[in-house]
Amino acid sequence: MNDAHLRFDRGAAAGDAEGCRERKLPLRDWLLLPILSLLTICFLAAVTESIARRMFSESKTDEEQCWVLNDPTTGVRGIPNSVCQVKIPESQLTEYKYNSCGHRAGMECGPRQPGAYRIVMTGSSFAMGLAVPREQTFAALLPQELSQRTGHKVELYNVGMGYRFAHSVALRFDDALAAKPDVILWAASPMDIEQSSFVVPASQASAGRGLWIRVHEALGRESAWNKARSLWEIASAGLFSHLEASRTVLMLQHFLYSSQSLYVSSYLRGGDEHSGFLKAEPSADWKNRLRQTDMDVANMQARASAAGIPFVTVLLPNRSQAAMISMGEWPAGYDPYKLEGELRSIVTSHGGIYIDILPDFRNIPNPERYYFPVDGHPDANGHAIIAGMLAKELARGAVPGLRATE
Amino acid sequence: MDSASFQFVMFGLAAAMLSNLSRSRVWRSIVLFIASIAFLALLSHDPIVFLPLIGFLLLGYAGLLLVERGWSKAMVFSLLAVIVVYIWLKKYTFLPEGVFLRSAYFTLGLSYILFRVLHLIIEAGDASERRHVGLGAYLIYTLNFTTLVSGPIQRYDEFARDEFAIEPIVLGPRTVGLQLERIVRGFFKVNVLAMLLHAVQEDALAQMSQPLPLPQKLFSAFRLAVAYPFFLYANFSGYIDIVIALARLMRVRLPENFDRPFSASSFLDFWNRWHITLSTWLKTYVYNPLLMALMRRISSVALEPLLGVFCFFVTFFLVGVWHGRTSEFVVFGILQGGGISINKLWQLGLARGLGRKGYKAFAKNSIYIAFGRGLTFSWFAFSTFWFWANWKQIDKVFTAISIAQWLVVWLAIWLSATVVLSIWEVLRAALLSIKTAEGPVLTSRYARVVYASALGLAAFVITFLLNQPAPDIVYKAF
Repeated sequence: MNDAHLRFDRGAAAGDAEGCRERKLPLRDWLLLPILSLLTICFLAAVTESIARRMFSESKTDEEQCWVLNDPTTGVRGIPNSVCQVKIPESQLTEYKYNSCGHRAGMECGPRQPGAYRIVMTGSSFAMGLAVPREQTFAALLPQELSQRTGHKVELYNVGMGYRFAHSVALRFDDALAAKPDVILWAASPMDIEQSSFVVPASQASAGRGLWIRVHEALGRESAWNKARSLWEIASAGLFSHLEASRTVLMLQHFLYSSQSLYVSSYLRGGDEHSGFLKAEPSADWKNRLRQTDMDVANMQARASAAGIPFVTVLLPNRSQAAMISMGEWPAGYDPYKLEGELRSIVTSHGGIYIDILPDFRNIPNPERYYFPVDGHPDANGHAIIAGMLAKELARGAVPGLRATE
Repeated sequence: MDSASFQFVMFGLAAAMLSNLSRSRVWRSIVLFIASIAFLALLSHDPIVFLPLIGFLLLGYAGLLLVERGWSKAMVFSLLAVIVVYIWLKKYTFLPEGVFLRSAYFTLGLSYILFRVLHLIIEAGDASERRHVGLGAYLIYTLNFTTLVSGPIQRYDEFARDEFAIEPIVLGPRTVGLQLERIVRGFFKVNVLAMLLHAVQEDALAQMSQPLPLPQKLFSAFRLAVAYPFFLYANFSGYIDIVIALARLMRVRLPENFDRPFSASSFLDFWNRWHITLSTWLKTYVYNPLLMALMRRISSVALEPLLGVFCFFVTFFLVGVWHGRTSEFVVFGILQGGGISINKLWQLGLARGLGRKGYKAFAKNSIYIAFGRGLTFSWFAFSTFWFWANWKQIDKVFTAISIAQWLVVWLAIWLSATVVLSIWEVLRAALLSIKTAEGPVLTSRYARVVYASALGLAAFVITFLLNQPAPDIVYKAF
């Protein structure tokens, strides 16, 4: 492709060297060429977007239709006996079925099966198994794995829920205690610590008002230049956010983020709010988040101890963290194990049990393949891997009741 | 600004627009000079860091003036002084650490300035080409922002012919359109193609140390070796496309630096097509004088071809060594020089065995050409390990699989390159054979507008919407 053009360019340059006058461009081309360019762009944009919409379709419904999102006293919770069918662009159609207690547990809330060892698992979307059929989540796979490894009959009751980050886990800790567990497992992810103070999402109405407030502020600026500049910034940001929300962008991100190096470098550029937990020296914001987590862990541990139930915490890595651990190398100033170290010391300082699965990711080539590239949640294969790792660590004796029988 | 970024393109286009406000050569020179100074100022806001560069430029100019004034004996001294100061400023690792300047200073583009300064001094010593280069012209030539970061290395007479011409070269809508299309193409190469190829290489490098099954590991080794030459081509030639087009919009024609290098059927041919201005410079100022000097001393006709082989080795060893300051680049130089010399010896041997006519006929054989093309690519790909990796990485990569497995990988690369590059050549010829009265359809302005729009759209989406920064221009480090 390039070669032909280079040759042609040189021909044009040679013409100059000989002092030739450039031939006039036909009048029609002054109109035709811009139209051709515009048509090309429109055609390609339309074709790509339609392909992207076909390849990465999504359902009109979303999982939040089965959730109560506006109760700050409880945090986000499932609507009892509700069912939602949801497909995010990168996943298959997934059913979310909530029992009479509003849990995606795969069983009715109530007493354990006779003779079973009951784990109650809590956490946010990772624990809940977002975008993965329930029977393929690690919540569903872990009891089988543990039963095989330990010889005990194990069941797992899942009270995990989207948006149930660290503080909400503490708010809804009674859910976990009410399920009469032998052990409570908090399957945390970096997002749980990032959103440690989160309780309920901001309403759409307030987001909409934000735009009008910004426009109003822009119109209130002193000079016409400042008004114009502010309005331009709002308009371009709006246009960019619309373009960024297109399915074409999602499709390209999906394919680009299949590359380990591209994904990690993009993620690390994403700002301290999201990627700060990967830094060897956490920022003040992250230290505050860890302090909030410390208070919530102290609260949960005290309640678990009072009930005589072991409280176990595990950190599930997010996609970039898993990729970095697997690569074995990361840029200076970063440490994918840092957050785990902090969380372990928080948990153990309050008398809790911490289990460590991060080093196991060193032995998995390209573990980021087992997450949805753009969405970032583990896919069904990722859940199977996590189930295996959790079973291995739990059966090792961290929890006495789950120690493998000789 | 020191990469093929959107800001750099906008800066160049603004300078080109300003430059074209008047046809006066004084105006154009002033705009180019101010743009070049502004370009440097945008790269660093601290004037102190430019002091070593200013000193280097003044040293070069002093040497030039001495030679211009007829002090021919000063030429060797000036050349040596410029080279020694260059090595010192570039902190070559064979010099003791203690001799270097402690504070940080600006060295971007110093290698390319070196070539221009040496060229001026040598040409000034040539009795047949007496001319005076004023300080202003010297600074505009050496600091020209379009060639500062990564070349191409332009001869002064070619630069002066366009920049200081009373009647500037033609710049009509057709030429402007061609240059804009070339800028888009270059931007796409650097910011999309090179970015993707870099990711392929980085991923393959990471996989080499991961616990993968053997077939996957061999495939990673294959991708690692193959991706880098294409990445380097997209990265460097894309940047060159942009600067050639920007300079042309300022009515200066820069020399081409690439000519379909992966179509080369031999390593000798490859270096006629890759970084052309560097190899041409070294052939002019190293190969030719060295060969002449050796032939004057050794008058044996039988040894003449071998002297050529030796001079080729020295020239292309220097090409390799020029690229970096560490021992890896010495190996890179040996592999370049070795490749060229073995290629030359092979040609000499074949010509002796088959006779001149027989060799010529054999060299035109399409299967021979195809395998030669594949082998050329493979050798270049092999040599680039000492170009992009340090010894630790080289050790890690080459010990990740056994020697026999590496041989299988290189054989696969050779065969794949032979087949794929041949298909590309056939396809290209077929596409270019579709013609109208004005020439090939693919190079018509309508076709150019279509694919420039497509490439521009892709570059916009990747660069702005996905915010994916491209890797730096590799050659700016040299």
